[in-house]
Amino acid sequence: MDHDKQGRDSFEFPKWANAIRLPVALMAAGAPVYILGMLYLLFDPGTTSVGYQPEQPVSYSHRLHAGELGIDCRYCHTGVEKGAAATLPPTQTCMNCHATIKTESDRLTLVRESYQTGLPIEWVRIHDLPDFVYFNHSAHVTRGIGCESCHGRIDQMEVVSQAEGLNMGWCLGCHRDPEAHLRPVDEATTMGWTPGLDQRELGAQLREARNINPPTDCSTCHR
Amino acid sequence: MSSMNKSPDQAYWRSLEELGDKPEFRQFLEGEFPAEAAVPTDAVSRRRFLQLMGASVAMAGVVGCRWPEEKIVPFTSRPEGVDPGIPRGFATAMELAGEMRPLVVTSYDGRPIKVEGNADHPLSLGATDHFAQALVLELFDPDRSRHAVERHGGTEHKRSWNDFETYAAEHFGALRASGGTGLAFLVERSSSPTRAAMQDRVREVFPQAGWFEWEPLTRDNERSGAAQAFGHAVATNYRLGEAKVVACFDADLFQDHPTALRNAREYTAARRVEDGRMNRLYVVEAGYSITGGMADHRFPTASSAIGTTLLQLAAELTTKQGLDLPGDFGGMKEALGHAGHAPAWIPALARDLMHHRGASVIAVGSRQPDWVHTLAHLLNRALGNTGRTVVHVDLSDRNRPHHAAAMGFLADSVGRGSVNTLVVLGGNPVFDGPADTDMAGLFAKIEHTIHLSDFVNETSKACAWHLPRAHTLESWSDVRDAEGRYSVVQPLIRPLYEGRTPIELLALLLEGSPAAGHVLVRSTADGMLPVLDRETAWLKLLQSGVLTGSESVEVVPTLEGRGIVAGVRRGAAAHAPELGENNLEIIFQRDPSLYDGRFANNGWLQELPDFMTKLTWDNAAILGYATAEALGVKHGDLLTLDVGGRTLEMAAFVQPGQAPWTCVVQLGHGRTAAGRVGDGTGFDTYTLRTAATLDFSDGLKIGRTGRSYPLSTTQDHFAIDATGRNEREQRSHTLILEGTYEEYKQDPNFVEHRHHLPPLRSLWEERTYEGHAWGMTIDLNSCNGCNACVVACQAENNIPVVGKDQVGRGREMSWIRLDRYFQGEPDEAKVAQQPVACVHCEMAPCEQVCPVGATMHSAEGLNEMAYNRCVGTRYCANNCPYKVRRFNFFNFNKDIPDVQQMVYNPEVTIRARGVMEKCTYCVQRIESVKIEAKNEGREVRDGEIKTACQQTCPTDAIVFGDLNDETSKVAELTANERSYHMLAELNIKPRTSYLARLRNPNPELAESSDGHPAH
Repeated sequence: MDHDKQGRDSFEFPKWANAIRLPVALMAAGAPVYILGMLYLLFDPGTTSVGYQPEQPVSYSHRLHAGELGIDCRYCHTGVEKGAAATLPPTQTCMNCHATIKTESDRLTLVRESYQTGLPIEWVRIHDLPDFVYFNHSAHVTRGIGCESCHGRIDQMEVVSQAEGLNMGWCLGCHRDPEAHLRPVDEATTMGWTPGLDQRELGAQLREARNINPPTDCSTCHR
Repeated sequence: MSSMNKSPDQAYWRSLEELGDKPEFRQFLEGEFPAEAAVPTDAVSRRRFLQLMGASVAMAGVVGCRWPEEKIVPFTSRPEGVDPGIPRGFATAMELAGEMRPLVVTSYDGRPIKVEGNADHPLSLGATDHFAQALVLELFDPDRSRHAVERHGGTEHKRSWNDFETYAAEHFGALRASGGTGLAFLVERSSSPTRAAMQDRVREVFPQAGWFEWEPLTRDNERSGAAQAFGHAVATNYRLGEAKVVACFDADLFQDHPTALRNAREYTAARRVEDGRMNRLYVVEAGYSITGGMADHRFPTASSAIGTTLLQLAAELTTKQGLDLPGDFGGMKEALGHAGHAPAWIPALARDLMHHRGASVIAVGSRQPDWVHTLAHLLNRALGNTGRTVVHVDLSDRNRPHHAAAMGFLADSVGRGSVNTLVVLGGNPVFDGPADTDMAGLFAKIEHTIHLSDFVNETSKACAWHLPRAHTLESWSDVRDAEGRYSVVQPLIRPLYEGRTPIELLALLLEGSPAAGHVLVRSTADGMLPVLDRETAWLKLLQSGVLTGSESVEVVPTLEGRGIVAGVRRGAAAHAPELGENNLEIIFQRDPSLYDGRFANNGWLQELPDFMTKLTWDNAAILGYATAEALGVKHGDLLTLDVGGRTLEMAAFVQPGQAPWTCVVQLGHGRTAAGRVGDGTGFDTYTLRTAATLDFSDGLKIGRTGRSYPLSTTQDHFAIDATGRNEREQRSHTLILEGTYEEYKQDPNFVEHRHHLPPLRSLWEERTYEGHAWGMTIDLNSCNGCNACVVACQAENNIPVVGKDQVGRGREMSWIRLDRYFQGEPDEAKVAQQPVACVHCEMAPCEQVCPVGATMHSAEGLNEMAYNRCVGTRYCANNCPYKVRRFNFFNFNKDIPDVQQMVYNPEVTIRARGVMEKCTYCVQRIESVKIEAKNEGREVRDGEIKTACQQTCPTDAIVFGDLNDETSKVAELTANERSYHMLAELNIKPRTSYLARLRNPNPELAESSDGHPAH
């Protein structure tokens, strides 16, 4: 501690502090960027949602049903071509087959119970858009956007998890460039479909033929 | 008039305050949202808010990064035809005092969320009124009765239907054995054939029982007028589409009539100049009605003088203008000789009627005494209107006594002690019964009182048993319309609480065991359905909502000479009372929003501005301008009304265009057991209304208390231009344009010459629109200001209710504002209505000032709000020249009870605090139709997208569509010569255009500007 001319205490940085001046200044300048960046990553749907794989009340395997057995998506998700919601099947749909197949299986206990008591099975929602977003399945499936484009290879998932972030930038990416994803409408539910020719070329053809102009207005999704 | 600063002749004005240009009014107009208080009404201060914010940010980390887990709960067995998320419509109907409204209700995953009119029903053709629109909110009202209540000795006990059934088995078992001695039923009016059948059954099972019907708002005068004229009561309906001249004497044909929606539609269709049609409407009435607002000539006349006026018209027609009476009416000439000196407009009206014999209408309103109706029947017959423009059908309940008489009989029976059991089916007679019958006292004298009601209301509280009633949307029932058409009321949802319908209760009391409503209705319907293939016919009836071919045959009843002459003589002898400062006339009117008070707990209707006064959350003693001046009464003064010794303190409302020395009071406010919304609003005017003065009465004295009362009106809110009074006065002509039919005939492009625009230049680069370009037209010649669109918009778009205090601060949220302008001298003011919502400017000023891009323009020309981006700067509202943006000052949706949240439209975002909102052109409807059309691989058809306001509009005033489609209706109307843009000089290219109103004054009466010749 030194004393200045009036005799008050004053503080002076030690000499070695000169050496770390630049690194400290850089850190101070970088901190907000770093913090914001980390916060962005923390709340980014890519971080928070992709891979979200909650446990379901019934250990239903999409790999078995949609993959190995090749049941079409629309057998269960009947609303997908008609309305906003793809809809989950009623217990009745399960029992169409399981009344005669695997009637004793432990994994189906809850399904049989639900069928007998009329109490529904409570599935956990995986793909959950914010409430101010209005997504319509039929508007995509009937234009030739494959289920796979958003939901990934469901046919390979033993337990379904979220494949894409479903954030606004991701939606807009496709709305601005639909050619990269369009496929023939009757191939919409095909898993692992590959275009015979170049995707961009096919996409452009399909877009032209079906007059597909995905809007990017706010009100397309927000009302 | 000396206090008026400017000549009222030229300019439009919205309120007397504005016309007077008082300093208070200027102060009110300052700022974007007038009376904008910085301090919120709740106790959360800014500092506290920041503390809370800090805490919630700190806790956010604890909660984690995922949204809360949501469950999807599918059906176990999905009913056929049900697709989750796809709304479905069901045809049903509602009744209001026995008058039916045909409906189609939208059910969203089992929740009824929106009411529309039934397009298959000739009385609706898709339109509804505001009562029907607000029905869903009533269904989900958290204050609805949830269980039975038994009261004895001042204590109340929660009961179930089982308890009541046990009680009823014993008590009504004994009554059945005694033939119903001491039993009486007090019922609402209903057109239900099933209920009529049960009434017959009551006569069989309980031959000694009394059956009394009461409605506070009744058309009984009309019935007895018809009975006098024809020997028996018939219903009178109108074919306004065929009429060239319509003269209404206190008759509100567009709102207060069983066929009001069709009347409004046919009347406006018959003055669509583009189709080469134009009619003329004369209205004689005391206070403004919807019909009065549409009039080409309106003559403010006290209710008690309206009969005399019609007598004078009859005298003029028969003695001076040579109208022959249909048959021999001895003594009629002498009777008409007493009619007195007629005002100068009567001969002109008489000539107009004589020129349009067979194509005119003389209509008398339900408030007028029977003889006035009788005289109108005679004149309509003499003019050849009967059977053409005025038609009669038989009434199914034509032999019932008048409601007032029935109530008198009941009171007498109770007074004699001959009633020990009273079953009250619906209604609220303790609240709305005549003031000279002590209803509560009457009920207290009866040992067993049972009330079936949606709410535990005033009557329920006076009864030993209260039973929960099923709501209309939960009920099986049936109805007949004003022309006898049969419809079935089918439930949209199982009763939320244990409600039962009146017919189910009657079945229980009659047969001793409960019966299902649909079985009762089905057995009635089966009697009308063809025997072959009855099941298909039944399903078809349920699907279309109306049984084709079930309407009554029109009758042309014979005139009863003696009854008519006697009636007219009686009327001529009864001189209209001399009204003055110490003898005013009080006129009882239904509340335009609450009806008879039954909708008091409905927030949408409470906050709905009255079509003329723009008053919300209250009723008031409405006085004319000159009358108020003479009495020294100011707007908002608390007055003492004294009529026949009955007194009431009530706030004054000074209203232009009202007959001198009359005071209009609306019924239905001042409830004490309505619920959390309806309790304590306004003033209970039933306390002044006796059995003899159900309609109007003289002898009113008005005193001042020296106190005042805050009234929340919206009439000066969002005044379109607050920058300068002079500027505003100049511009008013360009906001609302009107002309006369004569002008139009001379120059159909008169609108163009009304308002010369400076050379227009754009501030910004103009866009072009390919594909769709959505636009709207609103025909001011059709709009009568009925308010149906306002409530429809509120229901469709989840618009919150904000309460009286917030409305008083200019913070109402309604997206549609019905601007009501007056023109002319205050006491004879003409009215014009103009609905204003967001006009979706192509060069929208609001978009330019949003710092966060929350309000953007779509490729189809919609001015859209991304609520999520909005940070609440309110710059956009500041910059909006039309003042159509609404700001959520509070989180109005926060404390909505769970059951009431069921009314929300899931297709529209719920807005939070601090967010701006406004009309979206019902973008959810646009998107849904567009997606559907594209799914089906076709273009959107014209007329396929209907905005909520358009769909419910009874007069087709609103048309929506694609302006880029040259064949569309909206493009055709936008190109119409009457079409204009509001504030066109700003060159911001609004997508909504207005069609100028045309008035068609009688040339004989048109010399002076206000339709009144000097006399």
